[in-house]
Amino acid sequence: MHPATHPTASASDGRTYRTLLPRRRLLRGLLAAVVALPLVGAAAACGDDAASDGKTKISIFWWGGDARAQLTEQALDLYTQKNPDVVFEKVWQANQGYFDKLATLTAGGNPPDIFQIDDNFLAEYAARNATLDLAPYQDSGALDTSKFPPSLLQYGVVDGKLAGVAAGENTQGLVYNKTLLTKNGLPEPTTGMSWEEHIAWAEQVSEKTGVPGTQDPSADYKALWVWLRQQGKDLYAGTELGFTVEDVTRWFELWKGARDRGATPTPDVIHEGNATDITKQLVVTGKSATSWVWVNQMPELKKNTSDELGVIAYPGDPSGQWARASMYWSVFRGSKNADIAVDVINFLANDPDAVKLLGTDRGLPSNLDLRRVISDDTTDEAMKQSIAVETELAKTFGEAPQVPIKGHSKVRAELTKAAENAQYGRATPAEAAAQFVEACKAAIAS
Amino acid sequence: MALTTAPDPTRRGTGSVRPDANRRGTGRIRHGEGLAGYVFLSPWLIGLMGITALPMLLSLYLSFTDYDILTPLSEVEWVGLANYERMFTGDPSWWHSVRVTLSFALIAVPLKLAAALGVALLLNRAWRGVGLFRGLFYLPSLLGGSVALAIVWVNMFNREGAFNSFLALFGIQGKPWVNDPDWALETLMVLAIWQFGAPMVIFLAGLKQVPTELYEAASVDGAGRFRQFVNVTLPMLSPVIFFNLVLETINGFQGFTAAFVLSNGTGGPVDSTLMYTLNLYITGFTDLEMGYASAMAWVFLIAIAIITVVFFSTGRFWVHYSDGEDR
Repeated sequence: MHPATHPTASASDGRTYRTLLPRRRLLRGLLAAVVALPLVGAAAACGDDAASDGKTKISIFWWGGDARAQLTEQALDLYTQKNPDVVFEKVWQANQGYFDKLATLTAGGNPPDIFQIDDNFLAEYAARNATLDLAPYQDSGALDTSKFPPSLLQYGVVDGKLAGVAAGENTQGLVYNKTLLTKNGLPEPTTGMSWEEHIAWAEQVSEKTGVPGTQDPSADYKALWVWLRQQGKDLYAGTELGFTVEDVTRWFELWKGARDRGATPTPDVIHEGNATDITKQLVVTGKSATSWVWVNQMPELKKNTSDELGVIAYPGDPSGQWARASMYWSVFRGSKNADIAVDVINFLANDPDAVKLLGTDRGLPSNLDLRRVISDDTTDEAMKQSIAVETELAKTFGEAPQVPIKGHSKVRAELTKAAENAQYGRATPAEAAAQFVEACKAAIAS
Repeated sequence: MALTTAPDPTRRGTGSVRPDANRRGTGRIRHGEGLAGYVFLSPWLIGLMGITALPMLLSLYLSFTDYDILTPLSEVEWVGLANYERMFTGDPSWWHSVRVTLSFALIAVPLKLAAALGVALLLNRAWRGVGLFRGLFYLPSLLGGSVALAIVWVNMFNREGAFNSFLALFGIQGKPWVNDPDWALETLMVLAIWQFGAPMVIFLAGLKQVPTELYEAASVDGAGRFRQFVNVTLPMLSPVIFFNLVLETINGFQGFTAAFVLSNGTGGPVDSTLMYTLNLYITGFTDLEMGYASAMAWVFLIAIAIITVVFFSTGRFWVHYSDGEDR
């Protein structure tokens, strides 16, 4: 360090220093620049993704766990087997952070050709024209949806455009801990119980077992949604909210009553269960006897507990529930290989071998003919159970509502905030409901 | 010897007139040398321009638009000052995140500095094994913004966490700290304070620079230890305190990781941990309002710049530089 910054002061050396060193320094500097330049070049070269061997590369992006990744990769390999000219760039990751990544990829001008998306974000993407309208492919026959339940197909339509094709069907499911109930000689809850009956049942469970009977779902949009539909209301009506402050007040009061009776856990535990993460659901962490989830999450929940689980519809009239697309496959509007991408989606939905491979991991298969085949063939107990329950519920399904609108992710966050405000006793149900509705109006207006 | 080679934060404040500039013989840098300097700097300059400056300018532009990430940049609409107007007049959660961040910084930063200085004073002795203790106290800082650490924190401070088990030994019924809106932010503050190692090491280096003659002179004058601390240590250390204060304040304002992990990225329970940067992140990436988020980022940048300028302008009243008097 010192010799370089501290040249000797003698006069004769100073001469040498003046004439020689600058040139040497200059050379070294140029050398550094030359070394650095290829780095920049290399970084630029990485962006080039043209397949060199004449094959078409389709990028596909989804969220999920290892099991889903394996199944999906096998199904895609099957496609490549049948169409050797198409290869896939498969990218997957956990649910948390998925939509951040998808948005970032889209912003960077490098979005996947095909991506998995759910109803929480479908309208956000479709309203901003990020998804390709698949209706023309339906008309041309490239995309066959003739075997889909009509309402399931309809649930992928945003502003008159088919924004996504259901990758599977599911519906709300109330999952309960069977082992805990049998051990304590308690009755199992049944579909069709009223909300009051459910809460009374939960109170009884809390008293007998010491485990709170039910997670308080007042912060859960899907529970609120079913309840609203049973009251003849909806979450959204066109571009407006489908409910009023009074509705939400009654919803919050219903659950305040449940908390006061000891039917639910304490607010901090409810807060833990409000995380969307499967492993944090109270029915598997043992902090509550029931959790409010989607039916197709059963096998995943089962992996996180040794107790036996049961699943029924949410309380109240089961026709408040509908055939919901658990998730969709969408094609990026700017995809250069849109035709092939659509063909891949068609393959994943309608090819018997592919559908058999994928099973019910993304929900019941959308193709009704193949759904029957799968349910006859499966040996997985949890899968059998969720198929049986959903097939049963499908008999009473109501009409599908419209897909949640742009701003929905914020509405969900605001509901959690308002419900927790009431749970922690920081606001009365009426105050929390008023806050919520006001925040929602701002969220969906922008 | 060690005095001149060690990185010396007490000298940071000496500004542009570095005494060793004169050692070159002439005060000026020759032309060729300047060019070589820039050539040497070029990788860094390219990085600065490409990776920092251009995106910053772009975000400044975006802050005046309705950019939502998904729409191509060519289609964004200019909305003028609408984003800034909304922030100050129409967004309660923005104000809320400002309050959360201010209270976090105002409480956590002074306490962290006090802890760092206190421990540095204790470790500034020639004990056996003092090096080990310095290492141990510095360790939490190495884990800095680590996600793992935040996860450990969540598990230590929930209802069944280790901290409540500890309290139970004394018959105290704990709270579900991280899941209680009245305590979640405080739990984050404790985490930040606990990571006082970095300022502590800088304080230690500063303490070593205080000439012992001053303490000797003070004790001859009859000053007790407290007097010595107030009248010798603090003034001599003031440049280091200043340096740490500026740095930690900026860090405190930018706290993100712990709040993100603790709340699953929501800022909950009930927005109690909605730090400014977390709010910005949610606005940009979950709500997809990147134009508005850019405006938030610029307001944030300007606010931090103002606070730093205030620090520097008040600094001359209490920061004491002792250039060249000693050694």
